[in-house]
Amino acid sequence: MQKDLEEKFLADFKNNQNIVHKICRIYTTNADAHNDLFQEITIQLWKNYPKFRGDSKFSTWMYRVALNTSISLYRKSTKRISTQDFDDVAFKVKSHEYDDTKEVQLNALYNGIHKLSDIEKALIFLYLENKSYDEISETLGISNGNARVKMNRAKEKLKTILNP
Amino acid sequence: MDILDKYKKAWENQPEENDRVNEAQIYKMAHSKSSSIVKWIFIIGILEFVVFNSLYFFVDLDSAHREYEKLGLENFVLYTQIIAYGILFYFLVMFYMNYKNISTSDSTRVLMRKIIKTRKTVRNYVLFNLGYIALVMVAFTIASINVNTEELNNKQIALLIFFMIIITFVILGLMFLFYQLIYGILLRKLKRNYKELAKLEEE
Repeated sequence: MQKDLEEKFLADFKNNQNIVHKICRIYTTNADAHNDLFQEITIQLWKNYPKFRGDSKFSTWMYRVALNTSISLYRKSTKRISTQDFDDVAFKVKSHEYDDTKEVQLNALYNGIHKLSDIEKALIFLYLENKSYDEISETLGISNGNARVKMNRAKEKLKTILNP
Repeated sequence: MDILDKYKKAWENQPEENDRVNEAQIYKMAHSKSSSIVKWIFIIGILEFVVFNSLYFFVDLDSAHREYEKLGLENFVLYTQIIAYGILFYFLVMFYMNYKNISTSDSTRVLMRKIIKTRKTVRNYVLFNLGYIALVMVAFTIASINVNTEELNNKQIALLIFFMIIITFVILGLMFLFYQLIYGILLRKLKRNYKELAKLEEE
């Protein structure tokens, strides 16, 4: 029983791990912290997996646990590495169709998001991932209307940061 | 086109993370030790319960008991201690239940509220203890004055009361400061985030 659950979890996680990587990249700025947070999210996902009934999609549930871990559970690592910021070195691309301007834009976007508050980060992330307001309000535990208001403010703030 | 749409395109086209983890790595990570704030709150909470209850080990119980008898306080101490242990048990159960209730599957707001509640349980226990210490100090002062009422003149009584008040305040103050420090460090970020979400609901 436990073994089945474990195998299913590993497969589900592996297929959706990109979500966790993106969230880690939003909430941390160096590789060490990224790995720390990734590990903590993995622990929380596994700990809560028995409660995941499958009435929602695995990825939906994963968004929630990963964001919660980043916002409320994760304590920023005290180890600071003095080397380059993660954003400048990571994400070298293998794909051929991928062009440089997109990469520059992506880096600028991540850098901009880093300047937002934890809650705004979550809002912008869910917007970028095309989540509906119903899903956003349910994930954060606020009303639909407030999610819209706050989202607009977060977007405006991000726009100003990206295009001062 | 909205400036954000342009960036959203870049987001949607972002490549898969190079540093993908395999099943063996996920397994290893999933079974490693959490260092989450919730775990720290649990550990520190338990430590506070232990520390407050082991303060008695530093007291010479026999001589303390003789002192109580001399002051006629043995019943007061006995009954208040029974009540205090009952209350300790209540707080321990509450603390554990709150901790158990914390689930990252909850919505962000509910999760944060539950974490803060868990922490508040310990805070209330500490406040209760500080109150209890103050009560014992007051009882001691009154009893000392009562027992020695013939030997003491008014000036001495005033001095005794004055020193008891000072000592009580110093002890309570130090404990309170120490407590605020732990509480502040652990929950600063969480409280800020919770306020941001809660403020939103009030608007």
